[in-house]
This record gives sequence, structure tokens and C-alpha cells, in this order.
Amino acid sequence: MRELGDHHVEKLRAVVRDCLGKHLYSSAIFFADKLATMAGNQTQDLYMQAQALYLGKQYRRALHLLRRHHLVTTDLRFRYLAGKCLEEVKEWDECLLMLGESEVDEEGNVLMLDDQDTELLDKDAEEREINIGAAICLLRGRAFEALENRARALRWYKAALKADPYCYEAFEHLIDHHMLTSEEEAVLLNSLKFDSEDRWLSLLYSCRTKKYGQIPVIEEKFQELEKEPDESRPEEYRVSCSLKDNNDLIACRADYLYHRGEFQRCYDTTKALLEKDPYHLNCMPLHIGSALELGRKNDLFLRAHNLVQEYPQKAISWFAVGCYYYCIRQFDHARRYFCKATTLEGAFAPAWLGFGNAHAAQDESDQAMAAYRTAARLFAGCHLPALCIGMEYLRTNNLNLAEQFFLQAKSICPTDPLVYNELGVMAYRNRDYETASCWLQKALQLAPPFTEAWEPTVVNLAHTFRKLKSYPEAICMYERALSLFPRNASTYSALGFTHHLQGNTGKAIDCYHKALGLKSDDTFTAEMLTSALQEECLRLSSAHDAEFYSLSGMPHIS
Amino acid sequence: MAPTGALTHRRELRRAVRQLRARGLYVAAKWAAEQLVGLNEKTSGGSVESKVDNAKVKESGGIELRARRTPAERAEAGVEVEESEDSDQDEDALLLARSYFDTREYRRAAHALQGLSGRKATFLRFYATYLAGEKRKEEDVVDLAGPLGKSDAVNLELASLEQELSSLHRTSMLDAFGMYLYGVILRERDKHAEACVMLCASVNSYPWNWSAWLELQALCTDPDIFHSLDLKDHWMRDFFVASLFLDLQRNSEGLARYQSLYLLFPGSDHILAQTAVAHYNLREFDDAERLFEELLRVDPYRIEGMDTYSNILYVKECFAALSHLAHKSVLTEKYRSETCCIIGNYYSLKAQHEKAVLYFKRALRLNPKFLSAWTLMGHEFVEMKNTPAAIDAYRRAVDINPRDYRAWYGLGQTYEILAMPYYALYYYRRATQLRPHDARMWCAMGQCYESEQLQIYDAAIRCYKRAVNNNDREGIALNKLAKLHVNLGRHEQAAFYFRKNLERMEADQNESQEYVDALLFLGNYSKNNGSLDEAEIYCTRVLDYGGPAKEDAKAMLREIRSVQQHEDTLLSMESERSTP
Repeated sequence: MRELGDHHVEKLRAVVRDCLGKHLYSSAIFFADKLATMAGNQTQDLYMQAQALYLGKQYRRALHLLRRHHLVTTDLRFRYLAGKCLEEVKEWDECLLMLGESEVDEEGNVLMLDDQDTELLDKDAEEREINIGAAICLLRGRAFEALENRARALRWYKAALKADPYCYEAFEHLIDHHMLTSEEEAVLLNSLKFDSEDRWLSLLYSCRTKKYGQIPVIEEKFQELEKEPDESRPEEYRVSCSLKDNNDLIACRADYLYHRGEFQRCYDTTKALLEKDPYHLNCMPLHIGSALELGRKNDLFLRAHNLVQEYPQKAISWFAVGCYYYCIRQFDHARRYFCKATTLEGAFAPAWLGFGNAHAAQDESDQAMAAYRTAARLFAGCHLPALCIGMEYLRTNNLNLAEQFFLQAKSICPTDPLVYNELGVMAYRNRDYETASCWLQKALQLAPPFTEAWEPTVVNLAHTFRKLKSYPEAICMYERALSLFPRNASTYSALGFTHHLQGNTGKAIDCYHKALGLKSDDTFTAEMLTSALQEECLRLSSAHDAEFYSLSGMPHIS
Repeated sequence: MAPTGALTHRRELRRAVRQLRARGLYVAAKWAAEQLVGLNEKTSGGSVESKVDNAKVKESGGIELRARRTPAERAEAGVEVEESEDSDQDEDALLLARSYFDTREYRRAAHALQGLSGRKATFLRFYATYLAGEKRKEEDVVDLAGPLGKSDAVNLELASLEQELSSLHRTSMLDAFGMYLYGVILRERDKHAEACVMLCASVNSYPWNWSAWLELQALCTDPDIFHSLDLKDHWMRDFFVASLFLDLQRNSEGLARYQSLYLLFPGSDHILAQTAVAHYNLREFDDAERLFEELLRVDPYRIEGMDTYSNILYVKECFAALSHLAHKSVLTEKYRSETCCIIGNYYSLKAQHEKAVLYFKRALRLNPKFLSAWTLMGHEFVEMKNTPAAIDAYRRAVDINPRDYRAWYGLGQTYEILAMPYYALYYYRRATQLRPHDARMWCAMGQCYESEQLQIYDAAIRCYKRAVNNNDREGIALNKLAKLHVNLGRHEQAAFYFRKNLERMEADQNESQEYVDALLFLGNYSKNNGSLDEAEIYCTRVLDYGGPAKEDAKAMLREIRSVQQHEDTLLSMESERSTP
């Protein structure tokens, strides 16, 4: 009889487990309840019942069940489940209380755990499990974030990741919400204890981090991740299997291309990825961003429409709509939709920046600054808001404040060439050309070579050289700029001016002509052309015969 | 008998036509086919010989197929070897793409070739993408064009094509055709030095692509650029050099080259046409006209180059012949840039400038890069006193080809009209750089230096001297030189040039006011120098002409007589005194 009962109970347990597996939560709750009663309220059955209630979205009932049987004090798992229930009903303080007092330092090392019982139910040693401590840390982090205590939330996320590197959610939070500066990201990743066979994960994590100006390192990581297993390498360095064609890795690569300024390739990559997985929302901001850079308004229009239809509650959808309006230069509409995106999801960084940019495009400095400031507050690890604020100050000719913010951006992300470009521009405006040339050269060192996106920096550096009277270097830079972005009237004009300053009127005239051919209403160039022509005329009228008659050598052609 | 080498030329050209056609390079294929036919003389006697040649080639070709090729031959035929690499499936896709390509559906063609790896497929994909961009650009131009067809429309594919081709080039995956396309794109992106290198590499590895040579020619704006090129020796190079010589206005040298090429290609229309152009550039209009007539006799439906013929008829003011040519061209092909230019010339000759402009504009709509239409339209605008439009048109012409001295000269003239001598001077200088032996440009420059704003007479004198040394047919320079020297008080030099001018005018039997002025000055000058007999001769010659000069001369003669009498008396008195 006893055995029969055992058999009966086991059968019921299997049924409950199966119901949970098949997402038949009402049935699971029903049977779990019966099971608990029949088996005499054994803890494992009660846990199963609470689990079923949680999954069936009856959070308060689950909580009550756990409390009534005084389970929460006995086992970490129960406590965690209770915490999750409290999270769902958004009672954050209660949740923290439930999880117990604990402290964590800056780096996310847990100082004091009030209980050390890590004994787990159903421990199955053979399978890799996420450390329950990590899960609890993560939940604490969430609670603090919901309570707007970002500093502590950050610590707990770090703690979660340190407790178990497999705790991806913590990592995702840290990265996607730009909570860490690129330096801090590197420190954190280095402090994580990966098993030797988990090298792929460590690589993948480091690929997900910020990607400014460290081209060779990132390329190497990508190559290693995409390579087929290589027997020749020592065991501990080998990536166990290839992640080639994995969607997340492709998204990473697209992100990298975007940062390199190769928008066309980024667009193509993300487009192919979205054909494979149309709901891969992680790469959607990149896709939309590159489409915006390329001015593909038609594609943006369709993409935004589809997104709004499929995910009306997601910030990304409205962000896409905003980008479309930004692309067709209807900034009023763009602003409205960026704003909508930020209200839906406050933690969506691109929308805040877009909101600011849309204001800035209409010369509404104050509102733009407000948006950037909010972004700076929300995303402490992202240097772009600070940079944008600096740019606004630069635009409104407030050089001191601008410098302050540029330096702040630099301290957050010391590897973004854009920061150095802006610092250079500011020094140029201050007429401090030596410093300007230092900053701009630094920017070009960091920037990927031979991409059109950095042509303005090259031109800036050329202007600086011209101001420093190093004309040959300036000419060299202007020519480089023209090779990156040909047929640019203002570059030709500046190049001509440099030749002119050098006294090389012949070349100056050629360049002025080219510039005027491309843009005929440029009064500066037209005036300079007139003066160059006069000088040339006076010079030649008293030149030697050979030059006067311009008898360039016509050597014999064999 | 055909000269040695004709056999290999024939084989090479035949293969080239096939290969070029397979890649959609139709213009180059047409050119190669023309030269292929041009290997034979176009007389009945020659055709027998050519049949013999043909038979031989066929035979040798047959042997070649069976026999193993030597490595050298295989290398030469490298393109063919590579063609057979493509699998059957790829071949089918290629056929489809080619069909799209031929119906001008370039984007579809490019898409159909996506993922094919053969070199031919890769080239065709890039080329189709490029042409798709060009087609789009042309459509945009029609939509967005300003009053003079000016627009900012660009080929949007260029940047990405450049990127792809450069990465292929870095891994040396580009064949000769790929390099040609890369060169074209680099040129359009204003990267001329790189484009030169690329096109050189292309023609060195595959010399039969005439389009590549033409691109290269367009890049050689300066003889120095040509000398920096590293070109392998090949008979195609001779064609290139000859054509380049004409472009650089070294016409007699070009002519010599064409004459030697003519021995190899006695039936080539291309050589005939180019020879005619050379004569035209040398201002030997009769020779040029004769050659063009010959060309039209051989190839009556030819339109290419006929606009040059119409220029000659225009200069010679042959109304009837020009009208006939215009009608004939319209019947052959109405909507060709050349045809429109011919009609434009016709109306211009009849002084209907508005209509002429209309036709030049039409020519440019058909082909916005049609150089001579821009220049001719500029001339029309000058006639119509529409200087801004003229400047614009000339500028477009020199943008397309900076070696077009007519456009530079036109720009100079226009700015002279606008009383902007600094500008005018610069443009005239450009023209003289291209034609250092053309007196007209030197005279124009001299005039600029003389202008009120500049008044740099020394420089003006140098220019006129240069004109005189270069056979100044209109004889402006001598008179100007003389007058300038008068103004500067250098009577000796002035007399020298007046005398020379007199000689010239006597030879031409030109008896204008200039002639009288020269006589008067010389009379005066001789009188002051004491050579009274000479002075008397000059003055008596003035008496044949009416007007105030006659009176001046009479007065001078009287003066001379009185001096003479006075001297006579003095002389006689002295002789009396000495002989007591």
C-alpha cells in the first residue's frame, strides 16, 4: 500500500512536471496542490506548487504559499522564488527585504552574505546550472534599478556576473544600458573567472563591449570566433567550436562596422541578418542607424511601418519612425516620435540622442541640451551625451564649457576618434593651432584608415597645418581628403588657397577653377581667383622667355 | 601580299572582338572589328588576297585547336583558359545575365550574376552595376537639369564599386577588364594618378581594348603624364600614341604615325578619319575635306566624326555642301549628337543663332559629354552677346577635355569682351600652351597686355613678336608692334616693323589705311633721319590715296623739297667757297 502510494505520488509529480513543460499552468497548479496534500506537504512538492503558481502568474498566491509554510527562511531557492514573485508585483522594497541584507563593494565583490547555505534541491551535478547566488544578485540589481538607485544596481549586476559568468542577463543589462565606461568594461571582463572551455564566451562578451578605436584587437577576436576548431593551437587557447554565421556574432560585426563608419557594409550585413531572423531586435538600431546615414528613406519608411505594426509597445518601433522623419528632415515629427520612444522605454539610449539631435537640427539648443543631459544621467558609461553637449556648447560659442564636456567624454571613452576631432576643432576655434593639430592627429591615429566617414577630420587637420604655415603637410592632407571624398568644392578651394599662400599661383588657379566648377556661387573663391590671376599675370609678364612662352618640354616619344 | 604581322594581327583582333562582346564592351568590340576589316584594302584586287589570308588563318586555327599550345601562347590566351573554368550552371546564369544586359536591364543583370565567381561574371556584374548607375544618372539629369543642362547628378554606385574593386585589386583578383573598369571609376572619382596606373596595367595585360586606351588618352592632359606611363610595346600602342598626338595638337607627328599605321591597315576607316582630323587641326582644310569625302564614299552611313567635316564646310562657307551633309545625316540617324551639331553649324552659317543653339542643346541632351557641341554652343552665345552662357558652355567644354584650345580661346575672348583682362589673359595662355605655334592666340594675348587695365607694353611686344615668328596670316602683329614702338618712342624699331609690314601688305596687295599709315610714318621717319630720297619715295606713294593722308603727304613733300633746296644752295655755296 505504501509503495503503491509512492508510486501514485511519483506519477502525480511526473504529471505536474509535464504540465509545466507543456505550459498547462492551470492543470499544473491543480495537480501540484493535490500532490502536496497527498504527499504531506513535502518541501519539494511545495516548491513545485509555488513554481506552478508563479508560472501561472498567481504571484501573491505563490508568495502566500511560501510564507505560510515558513519556507522562505529555510532555503535560498524559496527565498529567490519569493523575491521573483515580489518583483512581479513590483514591491521592490519587500523584495530586497526578502532577499536579505547584504553588502557589495564597488567592484561587485560580495562582502557579507547573511546565509551560507548554498545547498540546493534537485542538485544535478552533471548539468551546468546558473549559480543561484548570481540569480539573487541579479534580482537585487533589478530591484535597485527600479528604485532608481543606479550605483547599487550596477554593483549588484557586477556581483551577479562575477558569481557566474553565464549569468548573461546581468551582462546584457550592463552593456545595453551603457552602465560602464569602456575601461570599466575591460576591467570587469578581466576579473571574470571563465573555465578554460568557455573561452568562446569570454571572447563573445568582449566583442559585445564598446568598440571604439581598437581595430586590430576586435578583428582578431572575430576571426578566432569564426574560425573552425583548430587542432594545432594549445588546448587552453582553443575555442571549442566555431560561431560562424551565428546571428548574435553577425550583429556584433555589424556594430563594429557601424563604429568604423562603413555604413553600407553595416546596412548590408544587418539586412541579411534580418532576412534570416526578422525579429532580431538587437541589431535593429544598427540597421536603422545605418539606413539613416545612407539616406535610404524608402527602406526606413517600410521598416518603421512594419515595426510599429508588430511591436507598438517597443521603443525601437517609434525610434524607427523618428529616424524616418529625421531622414526626410521633418524634425518636428522626428522629435515627437523620439519622445514617444523615450516615454515607452526610458532606458533606450538611441532615442534620447535622436531626440536631442532633432532639437539641435532646429537650433533649439536648450531642449537639445536637456535631452542630452537626461541621456548622460541615464547612461553613465556612454560618452556620446557628454560629447553632444560639448558640441552644442561649441556651436553656441561657449568654448570653456565645451572643453569641459569634451574632456569628460574623453575620460569616459578615451578611444573614440570623434572626441579628439571635437577637441581639435575647439582648439582651432581658440586659435591654438598646435594643440589642435595634436588632437586631430590623435583622432586620425584612432580612426580606421581610408574611410569616407573621417574625411572631415582630415580636412580639419589640413586647415590646422595651413594655419601653422606647414603648407606641404597641409597640401598632403587636402589631397588625402580629396581621395577619400572627391569632388568637394570647399576642399579644392582650401587647397587652392594653400597653394596661393605658398606663392604657387598656377596651381592655386587650377584649384580655384575646380572649386568654382563644382560650386559657382562661392564668393571667397571667386575673389581669390581674381587676385591669383592678377598675381600670375604680373609675374609672368616679366618672366624669362622660356616661361613666358610656356615652352614646356615636348620630348620625343618613341 | 599583306605585310608580315598582318596574320597575327588578324588572329588577335578576331579573338578580341569575341572577348569584348562577351563582356558587353561594345564600343571597343566595334573598333576592333573595324580594324580587323581594315587589314585588307577595300579594292576588288585586295579582296582576293584577303580570301587567301582567311583560308590560311582558318587552317592554322584548326591545327592550333588540335595541337597543344606552347606555354607562351597559353599565357597570351589567358582569358580564354579562364573562361572554360566556369561550370555549366554558371554558364547558364551568365547567359541570362547577358540577355538582361543586352536589353539594358542592368540591375537585373547584376542581380542575376550575384554569387557567381568566374572572372567574366564578376566583371559583367560590376560593369552592369556601373551602367545601372550611369543610366540612373542620365535620368536624373533629365529631371533635375538646370537651364544649361547643368546638374549635380552623380553615379551613386561609384563609391561602393570603388570599394569593392579596390579590395579585389589588393588581392590581385582583377583581370585586365576589371582593371579597366576600376580605372574608369577612379577617373570619375577624380583620382587621376591612380586611374592612370590602373589603365596602364589593363592595357599592358590586354592591349586590344580600345576603350581603355581612350580613357588613358583622356587622362594624358599633359605630355609629362604620358612620359610617366609604363607601356609595353604593342601595335595597339601605336594607335594610341597617334591618337594622343592629335589630342595634344602635335598634328604633324600624329600624321606621320598614321601614315605608318596605314601600311598595316590599308582599309581602316579609323585611320582615314583621324588623318582628316589631323589636317583639319593643321588648318589644311582642302586636304581634310578631300579625306572626309573619301570617307563618306567608302562608308556613306557614317556619322562618327562628321561634325568635324561640317566644321570644315562651315569655315570654307560651303552652304550647299553643308546643307547636303545635314540632310544626309538626318536621314541616316536623326538623334545623334553629331547630326545635331551638323545642323547647328548649318544654322550658324546662315546666322540663325537661336536655332543653332537649339540644336547644340539637343546634341548635348543626347550626350552631355559631347565636347564640340559645348564649344560650338559657346561660339553661338558669343555671337548672341550672351556672355554668361558662353562662359558656362566653354567651361563645360574644358572640364570635359582640358586640351580643347578652341574653348580656352573662346573663354579668353568672352572675358575680353567683359573687360576682365586678367581672366582673359589666363585663358589665352592656356590656349597658347596647347598651340604654341598658333599666331592668333599670341595676338590675342598681346591685345590683353595692351588693354587699359594692364598696359604692360613690353609683354605685349613679346607676344606680338612670337606671333610674327609663327607666320601671322592676318598680319595684325606687325602693325601692332610698329605702333607700340611708336608709342614707346622707339622709332628705329617702329620703322623696322613698318617696313616689314609694308613688305607683307605689298605681297598680299593689301592697300588699306594701315598701308597708308605705314607709308606716312616711314616717310616722316626717313625725313627726320636725313634720308630725304627715301622719304620722298614713301610720300609720293601716299599721294595715290585720298583723304587727309594725302594732304599730310603733300605737306611733307613740300617740306622735303624746301629742305632739299636749302641743302642744294648750301652745297653750291660750299663748293663755290672751296673752289675759288
